[in-house]
Amino acid sequence: MTEPDLQAVRQWLDEAATSMGGQPARRRDVLLELETTILDRVDDRTKSGQVPEEAVRDVLEMMGDPVEVGSSFVPTRPLIAPHQTRPFVLQASVVFAAHFLLVIGATIADHELALGPLRIGPIADAKSILEVMARAAKTLLFDVGAVLCVYALVPRLGRIMRFPRVSLAVRTNTRRNIEGACFLALVLVVLNFFRDNLLALYLPDGDGVLQIPFVGPGIVDNLLLLNLWLGASVVREIVYAKVGETKHSLALDIVSNAIGLFCLLRIVATKRLVDLSQAQEALGTSADGIGAVLNTVFVVLALLTAAMLAARAVRRVYRFALLWM
Amino acid sequence: MSSFLDKIGAELRRGLVQIAALSLLHERLYGYQLVKILAAAGLETEEGTLYPLLRRLEAQGLLKSEWDTGGTRPRKYYVLSEEGVKALPQLENVWSEISGAVGKILYGSSLELTEADTQ
Repeated sequence: MTEPDLQAVRQWLDEAATSMGGQPARRRDVLLELETTILDRVDDRTKSGQVPEEAVRDVLEMMGDPVEVGSSFVPTRPLIAPHQTRPFVLQASVVFAAHFLLVIGATIADHELALGPLRIGPIADAKSILEVMARAAKTLLFDVGAVLCVYALVPRLGRIMRFPRVSLAVRTNTRRNIEGACFLALVLVVLNFFRDNLLALYLPDGDGVLQIPFVGPGIVDNLLLLNLWLGASVVREIVYAKVGETKHSLALDIVSNAIGLFCLLRIVATKRLVDLSQAQEALGTSADGIGAVLNTVFVVLALLTAAMLAARAVRRVYRFALLWM
Repeated sequence: MSSFLDKIGAELRRGLVQIAALSLLHERLYGYQLVKILAAAGLETEEGTLYPLLRRLEAQGLLKSEWDTGGTRPRKYYVLSEEGVKALPQLENVWSEISGAVGKILYGSSLELTEADTQ
């Protein structure tokens, strides 16, 4: 086999590795096994008279899309056991309906409802359809996250009702999540070009235009934010399970990572997670320093993303050039 | 319609490959050998399906594996673990029951359902 042939095989394996995730040792194990299989297949073809470069091209084509092959090795773990999916959706829907009715109640009464640690405020501008939709989405994600926590903490609850099996599994792929987060950072930097203050995205009291209002800083609010993240992940997984992962994964990853990153930044920005009385002060005094650091992080992530996307494009073009020239 | 058939076919095949692979791994084989044997038997299986399956079976304790670096290129060999050896006859029984039941339903000539069975 010539060097370009081997290069084509290596390119294919590199592509497969990008979607594999998991520990490096495990990845190496899988890649070595795939490599020997590819070379065995090429040997079989060349022994029966095929030209090596044609054999390599045919074998790689037969092996399929490397990214898809790589992702088939990503370990899956059930977030919700298959038999719990239906009751989970049902119970989350009931909780959401009750929660949103309370939100509407608070909006009509025009004052905050306090239910233990949970405060339900009115919709800021109930005449704006966007405000209502944003609040509904936030409420839904929160409730899905909350019910998920109950399932995680009290696993028996979900076993009480038995329903037909529906497959719902989470694919854990660190690399893809990082890529999604970087891509989001790129979008934020571009947005920041046209806005005065990126901080407004994650600091509720900022002066910028992109404000996403949440109730004040504090441990309860931060837990609520984490819950939103959980909820977003569950919604993403349900969509994956229903409509397939390959076509919609990028958009869904970006949305769920957007929420995840936002929640983390918001928690970092408040700094003091427990001391409710001083949290507002911490928010005010530390905004500049944290903002500067986060802006730098955003820019670095954005540059990384651009480099990654460019490298991927070049690699893909090179691989096809090797295969078809 | 054809995509529906493809999907059903792939799901059926995936389940069958699991039993077939376990059955073949009485003897020590590497992945590509297994692919070729399965293909020769009419169960064409892609590496992207078979290799993750082998890893899952290994994680479940039904298989064990080891790298052999003595040949021209390194190969990962799989073989049934003790637990796998014990589980295989039970799996074969399950398969016999299922294939018998499906055969009866699909090819009704041998179907002997009494009225009482259907009520």
